[in-house]
Parts: sequence; structure tokens; C-alpha cells
Amino acid sequence: MNSYDAIVIGAGHNGLVTANYLARAGKRVLVLERRAIPGGQAVTESFGEDWTVDSLHAGGMLRPDIVRDLGLNIPAPAPQAFTAHTDQGVLRIGPTLTDAASIESIRAFSAADATRWPEFVAFMNSCAQMLDAVYAVPMPRELPHVDLRREGLPMAKLALRLRRMGKRDMFRFIRALPMTSLELFEEWFESVALRAALASVAIHGHTLGPMSAGTGYTLMHNWLNRGGLAAPQHAAGTGSIVRALTEALLAARGEIRTGSAVQKVLIERSRAVGVRLASGEEIRAAVVFSGADPRHTLLALAGERELAPEFSWHARNIKMRGAVAKVHFRTDGRHGIAAGTHAVAASLKHMERAYDASKYHEIATAPYLEVSTRGETVSVHFQYAPYKLKSGDWASEGKRLEEIALATLAPLFPALAASVRGSRVLTPMDLEREYGLTEGDVNHGQLAMDQFFFMRPLPNWSDHRTPIAGLVLCGSGVHGGGGISGATGRNAAKQYLGGRVG
Amino acid sequence: MLQLKRTPFHERTSALSQAQNWRRWAGHIVLGSYDLGLDREYWGIRNAAALIDISPLLKYRITGPDAAALLHRVTPRDIHRMSVGQVGYTGWCDEEGKLVDDGTIARIGQEDFRMTSAEPSLRWLEMNAGGMDVRIVEESDALAALSLQGPNSRRVLNACCETSLDGLKYFRVADNTLAGCKVQISRTGYTGDLGYEIWLQPEDALTVWDALLAAGHNYGIVPCGILAMDMARVEAGLVMLDVDYTSSHAAWIDSQKSSPYELGLDWSVHLDKEGYFVGREALEREHRDGPAWKMVGVEVDWEGMEKLYAAVGLPPQIPAMAVRGSLPIYNGTTQVGYASTSTWSPVLKKYIALAHLQRPYYQTGTALSIEVTVEHHRRTAPARVVKLPFYEPEWKKK
Repeated sequence: MNSYDAIVIGAGHNGLVTANYLARAGKRVLVLERRAIPGGQAVTESFGEDWTVDSLHAGGMLRPDIVRDLGLNIPAPAPQAFTAHTDQGVLRIGPTLTDAASIESIRAFSAADATRWPEFVAFMNSCAQMLDAVYAVPMPRELPHVDLRREGLPMAKLALRLRRMGKRDMFRFIRALPMTSLELFEEWFESVALRAALASVAIHGHTLGPMSAGTGYTLMHNWLNRGGLAAPQHAAGTGSIVRALTEALLAARGEIRTGSAVQKVLIERSRAVGVRLASGEEIRAAVVFSGADPRHTLLALAGERELAPEFSWHARNIKMRGAVAKVHFRTDGRHGIAAGTHAVAASLKHMERAYDASKYHEIATAPYLEVSTRGETVSVHFQYAPYKLKSGDWASEGKRLEEIALATLAPLFPALAASVRGSRVLTPMDLEREYGLTEGDVNHGQLAMDQFFFMRPLPNWSDHRTPIAGLVLCGSGVHGGGGISGATGRNAAKQYLGGRVG
Repeated sequence: MLQLKRTPFHERTSALSQAQNWRRWAGHIVLGSYDLGLDREYWGIRNAAALIDISPLLKYRITGPDAAALLHRVTPRDIHRMSVGQVGYTGWCDEEGKLVDDGTIARIGQEDFRMTSAEPSLRWLEMNAGGMDVRIVEESDALAALSLQGPNSRRVLNACCETSLDGLKYFRVADNTLAGCKVQISRTGYTGDLGYEIWLQPEDALTVWDALLAAGHNYGIVPCGILAMDMARVEAGLVMLDVDYTSSHAAWIDSQKSSPYELGLDWSVHLDKEGYFVGREALEREHRDGPAWKMVGVEVDWEGMEKLYAAVGLPPQIPAMAVRGSLPIYNGTTQVGYASTSTWSPVLKKYIALAHLQRPYYQTGTALSIEVTVEHHRRTAPARVVKLPFYEPEWKKK
């Protein structure tokens, strides 16, 4: 009988984290991946002969408790510097953030800012720790009603945790969440260069501008995932995480099948009983976890026919709106770009204008870019490249991204253009088609104010369950998700193993 | 300026109106009655043939490969089991199993349905049509409709239709030609009598109206307003939205909502059907536990009424039309429900009401009492629970 205890749709980092937790709990787990290789967004893959690239994320790290719980063997990412190229000059913050050189770099722009910097870093670290705790607790199911026994205690602990930030930081934290990063930084710093540098981290990966409400929150979120400002890069690529997860899963007798696209979740009387693959093969399981984004999971894999009309209406309206593209250059190695994360962030206004373009479905011609290198590869994170274009389509506009990126980088890295031997552009459409990200949204749903915490992916559905019994969300689109952390994969597995969902 | 719409028959109906008794119906004006009283029109329904303009009904045409799947999902009825030419009456619910609206669904073709409703339903249909290959077109204004009700209705139609109606069974629909105009005729109605509804192009309205009146001349045809129909529908035990129940989309509070079980529409809920439908889980639960309320018929004891009125020196006073006011119903001195519509039934010679009663008082035969206002004083008259419909002539389904 072709049957498992659990099926996990998608071998992204979250799906693999879920599968590992389940396998370690003795469940017979099958992970199904539509691509030929596992990894999802954390993939390091070959784009040609001897050319392997961190396709979507130049770095990442799982939460330390996950690494511990699953006994993962992931070489620690090397500490990286964060360099912001602003129109006021170059600002360089070292991996430890508050070392003397970093403070001196800030002092070149403002002595007052250099003095405040350590306090800000401490505050952001405190916020990130708070978020980390919040992200480990599935939100109550039916607010304002809280099931005291099941949900009340974890919430009370969170409240206590918040209180322990201290009166001043607690209020600062709560107040900073909905703020625009512009306003937040205006309160802290006078240097426009430092403001721009920080704003670039706040907007990274989000379809928001530095003047958008809620970028105070996205700064904390990215700060948590990065452990600061720079992306935590792995010597062997972001795929190191995937490799470790895969090895651990196989060791725990879990199975992974690549090249196996799930076409439909099989549903009998509003209960998930398995999946049907694109090949027509049907595999049954007691529970189905989906690491795919909520919109795809609910509307395509489960199908609107199985959902209540209001619910599917809400699911249709989950804001995805990806505006991220990637441009990878294969060079002869003489690109002249130092290691670490480089933010090309001329000014806060400049980034806001770049965001404005995406609001009107245009490609930003003066974009915010984040550049990193791994050996001879130069990877460029391009923002904003909106999924929906006012004119033209992504089949033809991809080349423009490359041109804009090169033109933007030329003054900063004069050796780059001449060193380029090949390139690979991933447009938002590629992100959707190749990586299964609806509307090219790397976060599986924007981390906007109306979609976070207990509203992620939908109000009252932030505890991993869906209206289909036995269909559990374990991907980034649930509360705790966004970026590479594994939090939602872990939470989903714990919810299930604790008998709270499924 | 708000302008109520006129129906395609307005030119004829307005000319015949004696009483200028205009009523609002779904944004239109239609005649409540043509005469000053309702008697002639009511008896037209029960004894001869009554012609009623029902054009304001909201109508939706649902076509395409998933047309049946959409209606199967929206309603608790097993739509896949309906044959082409069949018409089904059903309510439809929200996810909590509470009624949103009710109407008929006609399967005109394998992938072609017409749904009628009391309230605008386009948004609800479209909200449910996600991921389906289906086309939903509102044809409320694009289609005129007449109801011909009464024991002579078939004879009248046979006198003016190209195809005899003798073969058209109860709750079936078929194409026909009436006075040279292409029409669809369904054996449906809102009176509980033998009757038909005629669906036609608005431009044919006057031709069809004239042809029916001419054909019905020897059969006692009577143009009839909606107030006489209202009396007849109570006798037939048929519910009306906003009178006997509140749409869950319009209710202010949960207790204003009703389930199909609470309205006695159990027979239209097919829990054995395949797949998800809106409200399934809630309805399954209610089916298991039994409804807390139920709409039933209540007959008021005539001698009890006589006594109440005799006490003030009057014979019993009866309303001249169906009363859409809530009347408390008691078990002893405890209120156990209310009547949402009450009427004098001329054909039964009884004072009857559609009553919503709490469990267990909805059992047939239960003796209760209902509020009657006698000369400005509130009294109660004995009443008892009876099965619906109150009245069902043997020719209704023959």
C-alpha cells in the first residue's frame, strides 16, 4: 500500500525541517519536490558547467534550536561585513556591528550617530530576540477568544517575555513595529548615509519602501534572520543548509522524491487523505503538510471547491506582490568586489522612488541592489522588479534587469563589467514558475501590517491549520515565516506532534 | 432620484388597476391587488386561473462545464442528480448552515441552469465560482415572467400554446410557443395549486399577456396581485424571505438567522450528496442534533376566537390579507415561539399561521395559544400545531 504517516509538499528548508521533526518522532515521512533538486529558496544549484549559484538567497541560517533539535551538521556561516554604498559615501559595518572600525566608519558621517550606534544595535538585538520568541508561538486561533489551557499559557509567557525587555525597550519595540523606517531612523540618527544603510535592510525582500508603515517591523524581522545587517553566507553556499537537512532526514528514514510535482491534495469529506502527483500517481497519508505558499496551497492544491466562499475570497486576497529579481554574473574572478554584503542604497528617498516604480508596475530604473560574491560569482538582489508589469512582460524584460544592474554597479565596481563572462537573470515570473512562488513573493505573502502575527496568512488561521482537516501549512506564509529561518517548519511539526493540528 | 422600475407588463397591469394598490418588490412596483378587496383574485387562484406578474424575481443564468458543480456547491441540493428539464426548489446557506436566500433552480440543459432568488445573488454566486469554468449572467431585467395559477391554468395554456402542457410534470420546464412568441414554461408556482410560470422576452410581454387573457376568458382568468398570492402561499406553507426568515447576510444577530431545518426544508437538504457544499459541516451537525427551532403550521381554534370576541360583543374579526407581523405563541404562560405570517384561509375557512416554535413544541398536534388583539386588548386564542401545507388540492401535482 502506497501510504505514509505524513506527506510534506515541497523540499524547501521549511518542508525539510518539518519532515525531520516528524521523522525523528518516528513517523514515516515522504517529501515531494517538484524540482529536480531539493532546496526551494535555500537552493545552491548549477547554472551551467562548473557554475553553482545561491539562486535566491545569498545566505541564511536556521534558528539555533532547530539545528540542535535535529542534530544538523551545518558549518557555521562566516561572519560578513555590511557595506552600504550611499550618495554620501561608503559606510562599512563589520560582522560584530559595534567593533571600533564600524563605529569609526559611522563617525565619518556623524559623531553623534557613532555614539548612539551601540545602543541601537542592542535595541535591535533585543527586538530580534523578542520576535524570535514570538515566532516560536503559534497565534491564538479565534481572537479575541483565547483557549486558556492551550493558547493562554504560551501567550502569557510571551507577554512576560515582552515585559522583560524592560519598560523602555518594550514600548520602543511596540512603537517601532508599525513605524516607517524613515521615522524610526530620524529619531535615532542624523546621518542620511546611516539611515539609508539601515533602510536597505528594512526593505530587503519586501514590497515596501522606507516610507511604508511597518518597515520598522520588517527591519527587526530581517535583523533576526541575518543576525544583524549582513547576510550570513556559507562557504559552500546556502545549499549547505539543505544538504544537512536532507542527510538528517534520510538518516531518520525519511524519503524525498524530487521531480514529483503535487497537482492536488486529495480530499474526502473535507479531510486531506493524500496527494495526486502531476503524473497521476496517488499517494495517501494521514496528514499532508504544505510548504508551498498559502495561496497556492489553498486555491490550487486544495482547490476553491473545497473551501467556504468567504474563506477562499480571503485566500485570493492574500497580498503576494513580489518585487524581487536576481541577476547572477559569472565573472573571470576579477570583479573587484570585496567579500560580504554590499547594499547599493544611495539614499532613503532614492529607495522610496525605486519602490514607487513598483507601485505603478514599472521596473525601478534606479533600483536598490544588494550584491554579494562567492568566488567568481557576483549575485545581485534587484529591487524593485514588480511581478505585474504595466507594459511588456517578463519574457522580454529580463534582459533590462541585467542592463540596469550593470549600469548601477559600474560606478561602484568599475572592474565588474569587464569581468563578466556570463549571466543568469531570475525574474519574478521565474520565481513563480521555477520556484513555485506565487507572484514571485519570496516571503509567501507580504509581511505587511495587515498580514503579520495572528493575521498570517489570514486572520485566525495563523496556527498552521487550514479548513481542510489534515492539511497543515508548514511554509513561510504562516506566522513566524519569511526569510530562511525554519521557524514555520518547526512550529508546524510541533503543532502536529502535540496533537493541536491535523 | 430613486426610481422604482416598472415591469414589462406595466402598460397592461396599470390600466387594469382599480385600487392603485402598488407594492414594492425587488426595486419594482407591482400591483398588490387590482380590486379594492382580495377575494376575486384569491378565488381566481383557487377556483379558476390567476395571472400574476412576477417579473421582479431575480434571475440568474448559469452556464458552462462547471455550472452544475457551482450550484451543487452553493445549495444543499444534489444538483448533479437533476435531469435536464427538471426544476428544484431549494434554500442556500452560508458556511454556518444558515439560510442566505431561497429560490428555484431549473436545469434547462446539461450545462445550463436558471436560478431565481429573492435578493440579489450575483456576488454570492461569483464568490463561490472561484476556479470554476462557469458563466454567471444576471437576467432579471432580460427576462419577463408571469405566473398562471389555478385549477384551470393548464386549460388556458393549452388554448394558446403550440405544445400541449398535458405532458409537463410537476416541477418540470420546457420550451413552448405562446401566441407566436418563444417562451419557457415551468410547472411551478408560489400558491400550492396547479400552476405554471412563463419565462419570456420582455418585448413579447404584452403579446403574451393579451393572448393569455383572451385564452383564459372562458376559464375565468383573473389578473391577480401579489397580496392574494401571499395568502395562497401561506396556505401552501411556503416561506418568504424577510418575512418568515432573515437572510444570514442581512441578519444583525445570530438568533435572527435560520437553517433549512428550522424552516422545515429538510427535504431539500441532501446530506448524502457528494463533495463539499457551503454549510455542509454545520448542517450535518444540526441534522445529527435536531434543530432547536422549527417552522410549522398553526391553526387557530375558531370557537376560541369566537369566545374572545363574544366577550366584547363582536363576531370574530379577521384580517383581510396575510399579516406580516410577529405574533407570540405560548405554552400556558411561557412564550415558546412566534408566528411570522398569519392569514385567514378562505378555502379552509380557518385562521392559520406559519409559526416558529422551539423544540419540543413543534410536534404535530401540540396544543398552544396565540396572541389575538381583541378591541385593543391582547388576548390569547387556543391553537394547535398542524402539518404543512395547510392546503394541497389533489390536482396540484396531477
